[in-house]
Amino acid sequence: MNRKEFLSDCSRMGFAGIALSLFPWLESCTEKAQQELSGERARIGIIGTGSRGLFHVQHLLQMPNVDVVALCDNYRPHLEDAAQYYPDAKLYDDYRRLLDDKNVQGVIITTPLYLHGRMTLDALSAGKRVFCEKSMAFTLDEALEVYNRRKELGGVLLIGQQRLFDPKYIKAMQMIHQGVIGDVVGVRNYWYRNNNWRREVPSPELERHINWRLYSEYSRGLMTELACHQLQNGSWAMGMLPEQVMGSGHLVHWTNEDERDVYDTVSAIFTYPNGVNMTFESIISNKHYGMGEQILGTKGTIDLVTAMHYTDEPAPKGSGMDQLIAQIESGIMSNSVFAGTSWAAETATLAPGIPIMPNVKVVSGESSVGAEADGSKELLEAFIHAVITGKQPEKVLEESYYATQFALLADMAMHENKILRLDDKYKVPYQPLKMR
Amino acid sequence: MALEFRYSDKNPSHPISFIAFQAMHTRIEILLTGVEQSVGRKLAATIEQEVKSMERRFNCHDERSPLSVINLRAAGEAVEVGDDMFMALELCEAFRRTTAGCFDISTDTAVAGQCSYLLDAKRHTVRFQREGVRLDMGGFAKGYALERVRQIIADAGVETALMNFGNSSVASIGHHPYGEWWAVGVEHTLERGQMACEVHLRSSAMSVSGRSTDGRYHIINPSTGGTVAAEELILVEGRSALIAEVLSTALYAAPKTLRADIMSRYEGYKATEIYCRKGGGVELREIGNK
Repeated sequence: MNRKEFLSDCSRMGFAGIALSLFPWLESCTEKAQQELSGERARIGIIGTGSRGLFHVQHLLQMPNVDVVALCDNYRPHLEDAAQYYPDAKLYDDYRRLLDDKNVQGVIITTPLYLHGRMTLDALSAGKRVFCEKSMAFTLDEALEVYNRRKELGGVLLIGQQRLFDPKYIKAMQMIHQGVIGDVVGVRNYWYRNNNWRREVPSPELERHINWRLYSEYSRGLMTELACHQLQNGSWAMGMLPEQVMGSGHLVHWTNEDERDVYDTVSAIFTYPNGVNMTFESIISNKHYGMGEQILGTKGTIDLVTAMHYTDEPAPKGSGMDQLIAQIESGIMSNSVFAGTSWAAETATLAPGIPIMPNVKVVSGESSVGAEADGSKELLEAFIHAVITGKQPEKVLEESYYATQFALLADMAMHENKILRLDDKYKVPYQPLKMR
Repeated sequence: MALEFRYSDKNPSHPISFIAFQAMHTRIEILLTGVEQSVGRKLAATIEQEVKSMERRFNCHDERSPLSVINLRAAGEAVEVGDDMFMALELCEAFRRTTAGCFDISTDTAVAGQCSYLLDAKRHTVRFQREGVRLDMGGFAKGYALERVRQIIADAGVETALMNFGNSSVASIGHHPYGEWWAVGVEHTLERGQMACEVHLRSSAMSVSGRSTDGRYHIINPSTGGTVAAEELILVEGRSALIAEVLSTALYAAPKTLRADIMSRYEGYKATEIYCRKGGGVELREIGNK
């Protein structure tokens, strides 16, 4: 999706005119914001040019106002992969040298989790504007340190929580905040895959370098790699943060592949102050249900992944024609049940879900690199805009911060087999993303 | 019910005109896409006028209708009729012959193998073969009107439309703007809201016959004069809405042993027996073309 399509979707959703007051972090997506740039360009360095780094490269290549001037990776093959796209970029094998490069205005950090915090701190200190992949940091303390450093220096920091920039999530949350599904009484998240989560390793000594996700020395496993994306759903929908978390995690199936010590099976329950639970479950030895994110309300349900709205109070319909009209208005097609022997006004039809917006591209969650049309590109555009203007988008950092903290806290709860609450020292000012 | 017209340009690529009105004892709904509001509105008025005009002509319950005049006088004399009525009567006779008498607009017990009326093509007259004959063209008129509506819409240059006459007869022009066809679900007779099967329409039509949704048997068996009490639905798909309508009615009334013979005369049409079971089960049996 390009900006024009994004804005067109926003417009069709009916909130283009009020977008800025409702979604201040999307300011960079507006035409006005783009005009502000008036031909200016962002000079970017990429730290970490593995699969996720290259995923971002594909989007950067489509952006006219970006010059990638520096690339860094301590694994040469990955560095050379990225250099093919940017033959004029300076190449580094030490990120600190890239940070010394005065020509670099902003950095994109796509490295293993255990490096996120340190590299972000160093980059902020070097005066760079920073985009770092989620999760924000490896520990609770480190995440807080990053948050405070950004605040202290007043720089730009965006974390790779792309759902905040995905039009279908934005539309869904707006509907939820308007009360379309009544009171939120539950939030369900799950992410199932059936693969060993391994990357090919050219030689054994590179095992941990390449498959860092599998080792607790570098990674918090499924909670930081997958859950972190979904945990913001509850906070975004309800405008509050969880009060406590409990969970259970085990290495159940992939026990003979390698020396891994992160869980391949996790379940966590996050309880909010009003008693509502948000669940997260991930199993990577069964993929039948794929990825799911559902907000359950007293009047209905919104499936965030498929962008469908299911009502608990279906209105009786004379025929499927209304449904058909809604489909065409939304730019989709599915069957309509209306043919039968004769028309009767009281004939009830199925209460199928109604798409909340047109042209939804459903992301399966199978790829561990990234997916198209999931907000990643818009998020990156917002970062490029922030690099040029120096303006930190509102509210999103806190949302990313808490997603990381609760992912880490849940992982701790599993390891300690305890119900945990986030200590007050980790609490930073939180303004709910309410969009009435 | 007054003529309902709604226009939506929420999707600017495919603006929708929706037309609905009550006629022929049912609700008629039409969806057009890709036309301007003024064109849609004009078509709505034209279509309602045309359908209601047909309803008047073919309504045997309206004593002022041309059909009532025939019913009143044709037993005693040859009654001159207009082109439209004459052609309709010719068509009905052709359908009677090609459906082994299972589609018959005579409401009295027909004499096996015989038409109950004589047509004189030169004088454009109709005369009943005997006393007591009464014609009811309700089953014909709906399909005929649907076909006519499709023509009006196509003549207006509309390339994408779906027409629903009381849920039992549906016709299309083109296909769904976001698919290769219009997908229409046939409702399960025992489990409301559930789909028994799905039909794909692409510039084609479908018709369903069976018990009414309120459980009544209403299709007359021409050979006995009584209602047909079959539990299955008959679904017919094909190019012409009129033929689909006629065939679904005829096949429902026909003994099961005759159904394949009837279908053998209608190349390009597909007929299916739909058996709905309690709990939502469905069995589909295609009626074979020879």
